[in-house]
Amino acid sequence: MLASYLRLALKVFGRRRFFTAVSLFGISFTLVVLMVAVAIVDHVLTPRAPETRQDRTLGLYFASMQGKHWGWNSEPGFMLIDRYGRGLPGVERMSIFSTPQDVPAYLAGTRVNFDLKRTDGEFWKILDFTFLEGGPFTSDDVDQARFVAVLNDTSRRRFFGDGRALGRTIEVDGQRFQVVGVVPDVPRLREVPFADIWVPLTTAKSDSYRRELMGGFLGLFLARASEDFPAIKEEFRARMKRVELTDSHYDSMVAVPETPAERLANRIEVGPRRGVIGTDRQGRTHVGRFWAALGLLALLFMLLPTVNLVNLNMSRIMERASEIGVRKAFGATAGTLIGQFVVENVALTLAGGAIGLVLAAAVLRALTASGLIPYAQLQMNGRVFLWGLGLAVIFGVLSGAYPAWRMSRLHPVQALAGGGR
Amino acid sequence: MTRHLLKLVWNRKRTNLLLMAEIFFSFLVLFAIVTVGVFYADNFRRPLGYAYENVWRVAIEMPQARPGETDPAALSRARQLLVEVGQMPEVAAASAAFTSPYDDGEWTSEYKVDGHAYDYMMDEVTDRFRDVLGLQVVRGRWFSAEDDAAAGFEPVVINARMAREIFGEGEAVGGIVPQEKSTDGEPRTEKRVIGVIGDFRQHGEFSAPTDYVFLRHRLEKAKGNTPRLLLLRVRVGTTAGFEEPLMARLRAIAPDWSFKIESLEELRASNHRQRLAPVLAAGVIAGFLLLMVALGLTGVLWQTVTQRTREIGLRRAKGATAKRIHRQILGEVAVMTSLALALGVAIVIQFPLLDLLGFVSTGVFAASLVLSAAAIYLLALACGYYPGLLATRVQPAAALHYD
Repeated sequence: MLASYLRLALKVFGRRRFFTAVSLFGISFTLVVLMVAVAIVDHVLTPRAPETRQDRTLGLYFASMQGKHWGWNSEPGFMLIDRYGRGLPGVERMSIFSTPQDVPAYLAGTRVNFDLKRTDGEFWKILDFTFLEGGPFTSDDVDQARFVAVLNDTSRRRFFGDGRALGRTIEVDGQRFQVVGVVPDVPRLREVPFADIWVPLTTAKSDSYRRELMGGFLGLFLARASEDFPAIKEEFRARMKRVELTDSHYDSMVAVPETPAERLANRIEVGPRRGVIGTDRQGRTHVGRFWAALGLLALLFMLLPTVNLVNLNMSRIMERASEIGVRKAFGATAGTLIGQFVVENVALTLAGGAIGLVLAAAVLRALTASGLIPYAQLQMNGRVFLWGLGLAVIFGVLSGAYPAWRMSRLHPVQALAGGGR
Repeated sequence: MTRHLLKLVWNRKRTNLLLMAEIFFSFLVLFAIVTVGVFYADNFRRPLGYAYENVWRVAIEMPQARPGETDPAALSRARQLLVEVGQMPEVAAASAAFTSPYDDGEWTSEYKVDGHAYDYMMDEVTDRFRDVLGLQVVRGRWFSAEDDAAAGFEPVVINARMAREIFGEGEAVGGIVPQEKSTDGEPRTEKRVIGVIGDFRQHGEFSAPTDYVFLRHRLEKAKGNTPRLLLLRVRVGTTAGFEEPLMARLRAIAPDWSFKIESLEELRASNHRQRLAPVLAAGVIAGFLLLMVALGLTGVLWQTVTQRTREIGLRRAKGATAKRIHRQILGEVAVMTSLALALGVAIVIQFPLLDLLGFVSTGVFAASLVLSAAAIYLLALACGYYPGLLATRVQPAAALHYD
């Protein structure tokens, strides 16, 4: 049955090549855009090296200090994480590290800028970097304030060409570091691990960061299991109520460790200027709302292509009025006809989806090669493919249902006469 | 004629409703992208108010004092930096500032006139800022040593747009900038205008004009914010090679501070990339969407013409010319487009009515509306052209035999 539907569909599509081509163009274009979007979200959110334990980690990305007259929203400061983030229940390890700082180095007289991150030793234990050369610096290096550095692959090439870097010295921002390790490039969109150069916290030019509640640092917590997340968040939130504020302009502090999805949701929902973490005053986040908003956006984007495809389908159906009339006259039910047409249309969208998949892979490769998003490794994978497949089916059913229903309601006599408006 | 076309469209209302929905959604998409485009184009042709060529910016990163508090050591060191860098032979003029053209950050405040709140941006600069950026003073004067004696008020220079908004046609120089009460209830020092400059669009060519206030920064004073930036006008012909010696000098004075040197031209390029990249991406997607719609519309109209062979044949048989048939098909398309646009415009017009316009001025809005409506008409008529031409080729004899 299905086979004969598909055979018939193939005949119909072959007969009106212009229509088929236009439909395929619309379908594949729509799915390319959606699949590229899915691939980018996938790139940002799914666990992958070095964030292999991402499903067990929470990050403290954002803190908000509120006073009677003004508020201060930024990354947390070192002191906030150091003093209130240690010994949380269910946390195996925790790390404090700075946000990337854009620092210059002069290589053969020209300036090259690098993103430099200052970290503690635990950073390398929570994250699972593979090393091309050497290894990470240790907590002991951090305590002793040794001037050692880990480079990413691109920075190694910038400093040393094709040669090895281990044991050699680099100078950035007026400070000299000995290279102890080299790691592969980490995409910029992976906020936690990303940097070009990683050096110990204690090599900072001034130690005033140790006395700051706000600004410049992130905290990372590795939980025993994701089941511990609620308890960790609850405890941290409670500790925030006891924070000793050093500045009399403020009277409360709100901050809560978040999962990457929550972080993304908040970042997008809040925007740079809106108040507290894009959530309520207790720092509760709304990931559900974020996904719903993304879904709605995708549907909204599909709206125009869907209407376009419905229009094309309608005119194709009217052309087949006599075929439908014959089938009705011989007793085919409305349900059968609807089923047949929807199957035909889903077959068409899947074909368009296949073209879209190939094009999307090409677009992703081009995006990666363009370096528009630094170090991004955008690619097709099983998850993106499944999403694409799902979207193609949804698209096919959406655009096939209404024309099929209209078709099934054609009166046999009228249909045989080749009519119907 | 129009009445008759309306009737023809009405007779095929189900099919046509869907076509109109398609045109309607296309209009919304096009309007969104055209609005951003017109907004950028409109801003681009306005004067910038400063010269960014040969200006370098040194960002100072240091442990910050809390807002409102003074770090006297940092302040005196900043003064030393400014003086020593200003003496380097490659530097024509140097000034300290809080923010600069093409800076991502901004410093904003607001004032109220007749109950309406206006936002303005601010910068706190030293006296040579005007020379570094080549500002044009149109009335009054720029900051100078004269202002050292200012007591009981704070001298400010504002831009012409702000002068117009506060003082109308009246004299701005000598006027007072209205201010809200300070948040901690203390009375603020009044800001007295000593000069007006032409314009100042901090965020560059693509940004909308804003009100702007310059405050005078005196590093010689014992109290005040430590400046975040040094701006240097370098002599024409200074190459990037000057950067390393400049950096060495800065580090020699302040070894525990970090510095970042960029030319305003670099900052400008990255500002333009940031502004244009999303618009280009959205534009490419919108372009493909419209191409898809155009092809789809052509297909549907083509199919419609084939279906109506008999009707068209009858008209030909009764003496209608090919031209009139073509006009009829295009007329029907025009009627449908008008109906779809009427709905689209009715919805879009709600934005200014509900004051939801955001960054877009009424002029930009109106221009975008007209442009996108015209583009949709063109698109729809272009799609109808070929099917209309096909309709004219219908032979009456063949058509009437058609089954």
